[in-house]
Amino acid sequence: MNRQPRTLLTLLLIAAVAGTAYFLWRDLQGGGGELRGGIGVEGPPARGGRLTVTLRSEPRSFNRLTSGSSVTDVFTHLTQGRLVRINRATQVLEPWLAERWEASADNRTFTLTLREGLTWSDGTPFSVEDVLFSARAVYDPRVNSVLASTLRVNDQPLAFTAPDARTIVVGFPAPFGPGLRLIDNLPILPRHKLESALDAGTFGQAWTAATPPADLAGMGPFQLSVYEPGQRLVFVRNPRYWRTADDGTALPYLDELVLEIVPDQSAELLRLQAGQVDMFQQALRPEDLATLQPLVDQQRVSLIEVGVTTDPNVFFFNLRDKFWERDPRRAWIGRRELRQAISHAIDREAFAEAVYLGAAVPIWGPVTPGNREWFSPNVPRYPYDPERARTLLAGLGLTNRDDDEWLEDGEGTEVRFTVLTYRGNQILEREAALLAQELRKVGIALDVVPIEQNTLIDRMVRGDFEAIHFSYFATDLDPALSKDFWLSSGAAHIWNMAQGRPATEWEAEIDRLIAEQSAATDPEVRRRLFADVQRIFGEHLPALYFAAPRMYMGVSARTRNLTPSVLRPQLLWAADTLAVTP
Amino acid sequence: MLTFTIRRVLFALFLIWVVASAAFVLTRLAPGDATFVDGPLSSDTQRAAMRAQLGLDRPLLTQYGSWLAGIVRLDFGTSLLYTRPVGELLAERAANTAILATAALLLATLLGVPAGIYTGTHQGGLGATLTRGISIVLLSTPSLIASLLLVLVATRTGWLPPGGMTSMAGASGWVSWLGDVLRHLPVPTLALALPLAATLERLQSQALVEAQARPFVAAARARGLSAAEALARHAWPASLGPLLGIYGLMIGSLLSGSFVVEAVTAWPGLGRLMVDALVARDLYLVAGAAAAGASGLAMGTLATDLLHAWVDPRVREGR
Repeated sequence: MNRQPRTLLTLLLIAAVAGTAYFLWRDLQGGGGELRGGIGVEGPPARGGRLTVTLRSEPRSFNRLTSGSSVTDVFTHLTQGRLVRINRATQVLEPWLAERWEASADNRTFTLTLREGLTWSDGTPFSVEDVLFSARAVYDPRVNSVLASTLRVNDQPLAFTAPDARTIVVGFPAPFGPGLRLIDNLPILPRHKLESALDAGTFGQAWTAATPPADLAGMGPFQLSVYEPGQRLVFVRNPRYWRTADDGTALPYLDELVLEIVPDQSAELLRLQAGQVDMFQQALRPEDLATLQPLVDQQRVSLIEVGVTTDPNVFFFNLRDKFWERDPRRAWIGRRELRQAISHAIDREAFAEAVYLGAAVPIWGPVTPGNREWFSPNVPRYPYDPERARTLLAGLGLTNRDDDEWLEDGEGTEVRFTVLTYRGNQILEREAALLAQELRKVGIALDVVPIEQNTLIDRMVRGDFEAIHFSYFATDLDPALSKDFWLSSGAAHIWNMAQGRPATEWEAEIDRLIAEQSAATDPEVRRRLFADVQRIFGEHLPALYFAAPRMYMGVSARTRNLTPSVLRPQLLWAADTLAVTP
Repeated sequence: MLTFTIRRVLFALFLIWVVASAAFVLTRLAPGDATFVDGPLSSDTQRAAMRAQLGLDRPLLTQYGSWLAGIVRLDFGTSLLYTRPVGELLAERAANTAILATAALLLATLLGVPAGIYTGTHQGGLGATLTRGISIVLLSTPSLIASLLLVLVATRTGWLPPGGMTSMAGASGWVSWLGDVLRHLPVPTLALALPLAATLERLQSQALVEAQARPFVAAARARGLSAAEALARHAWPASLGPLLGIYGLMIGSLLSGSFVVEAVTAWPGLGRLMVDALVARDLYLVAGAAAAGASGLAMGTLATDLLHAWVDPRVREGR
């Protein structure tokens, strides 16, 4: 090649790269800087219009009893009803298909009265038989419902009976603090559509994602009109929906609600920027806030601060003694001083700044300030103090005995762990890298290994790991409904699962307090007992928490009447009152 | 030619069987299974019940045997993730992927081959240098960035739909549906076709330069053929060999779906289905999607082999 074309080629390449970089920078970075304005979308709701929301994945099934996927959960919120509903914004239990209820003196029996004249979306009258059918289905062992364990108290099912055509009696096997809140989980399904499948033992295969919309029926605000696999779900107003607004307007406000399937988060953001969608299902990434700021300034998009997440990411060691029995680190791996040292070694403010670009708060336990009802600020805190961390480690005999940068024990074993985390989850990978970098400063080596989610969970369940950093979603804000995490026998007691009997005294104490808290009905007593649980947890730190992000949702300026919640689905849980400007 | 064709068809079937079986066995042996898809919230007892329900508690050989027996009856099993027949799910997506693959291949050919002929015959010129520069940029741009840029252009300008395969309004009649699909095709097609066109341009150019240096082209010119005639009748046909070889692989990779392009442009194809199935350890769907991908590869390779054999007798005679 002669010199002139070669120079030209070089210039062309430089121009192409620079042009691409500028284009991306201008459009994807936006204004940057501090977040300004745009919190909340106000304006009177009007009836009519279409709202378009993105989803990242496909619905696997339309049957909530057999599918725990978040898309199926959204589908159920839109199309199905329940007897009572926990208001996700206020956490107050509200009448829903049941218009009122009474509790017995011992708080074990609840008598609910159904609203009169309700009908399914297909016109079939709603009755107590539908409620009894739904209860029968969820507890049927052949169904193996994903909801069955969440609807048990002391491993016993609730008893549903119907003394008359409008009354449902729910009997609890033991006193239970959350009471009727438990049945917010149970969607009421149409007996006339599904009973034959339940009787035939094929309920698990009923209402798959291939089921024609005409074969579905619900008591929710919307009904499925079209499902185009891989593309979208279109919902239209359920004309027989029972609820009206305060001014008597029939709900839902929207004529149509469309869930567009856009698997890529950046493409999703571009569509919001272009005004082609109104909102996402998931919270924005920290870096997206600056990207959207110019549109917020132009009042084309609003940023809604939903609150501090209630599901922070967690770091924990394997505390199963058996795993370490032949390991030279056994003498000190289970000691709480090690975990306390790690807690002291992390500057949580800097962590929140680096990972979440400042849109996060430091935390010291699994219950975040986002869980207003149950958060206790009186837990042990471990301020950033690398010197204190080194002292605690030295107390375990872990000091630097050679010329490298790592600590060793008396036998010369390095303080080094392999930390598993989800591959492809940028926040987790960023957090794990930061933890490794910070702990290096006190001589602890973390080898971060990102692996596939399924493999990580398999290894966690089998207890085949040294340490894990991942995201864990609590089933409910009420501790009595998240007992799997707190109880030593729990399937989600992540650091040492499903223990036959508590491995430590403090776990036994937490078991006792949770059992007492769960059975108590006085809210103050429950709060006090749970504050004790959080304190003990903070003293022993079986799992470490560093920062909880503030969740922001990006919505188009035409969206009205939002009721954000920290719980998923953050905006669609109250889809019947969502509106758009005509 | 018949023996050659039969041999190739049998090899293609063998390839599909090996790929699908390997996908089945490896997915089954990999840590974790479909019962972990919603996280660690269920107890051991619940998971055991789910495994029994899904047939995952059976020994590998039994499971493989019954899956293979199903295949003979064209029953690919039931997806553990979607509780739907795998054949049905694949048919739904394979057609979409085939539409996109055909469009991308056509566009890549229409852009890449003429550009390669041009750069191969105008070595050192300004136009050829520019074309080659563009090819290098296209080849070195990751498909994620290219797809996002195209979606960005589509959303900014509003000229084209940024994603999906059909619009929400729907279409009445197949002509209207076809029009709707054609409007949605450009973004994913360009994202797939541009790097392929660049590959074809580079290969065609190189092959043509080499072919032009062959003695029979010089002999043709000596017999009085013009440069254009020598190119069209001798040099270009001789340069097609390496190009045909790469076509098989291209067709195969296009037909098995591109996860990145499909995800960014929300095209409901096989790539996304395959990745979802892999993440969820949906072994029947993974095996089915792998078989579909291998079928695409086999068909592509078969087509190019046959074409190669047709243009070059030495190939069909096994020389």
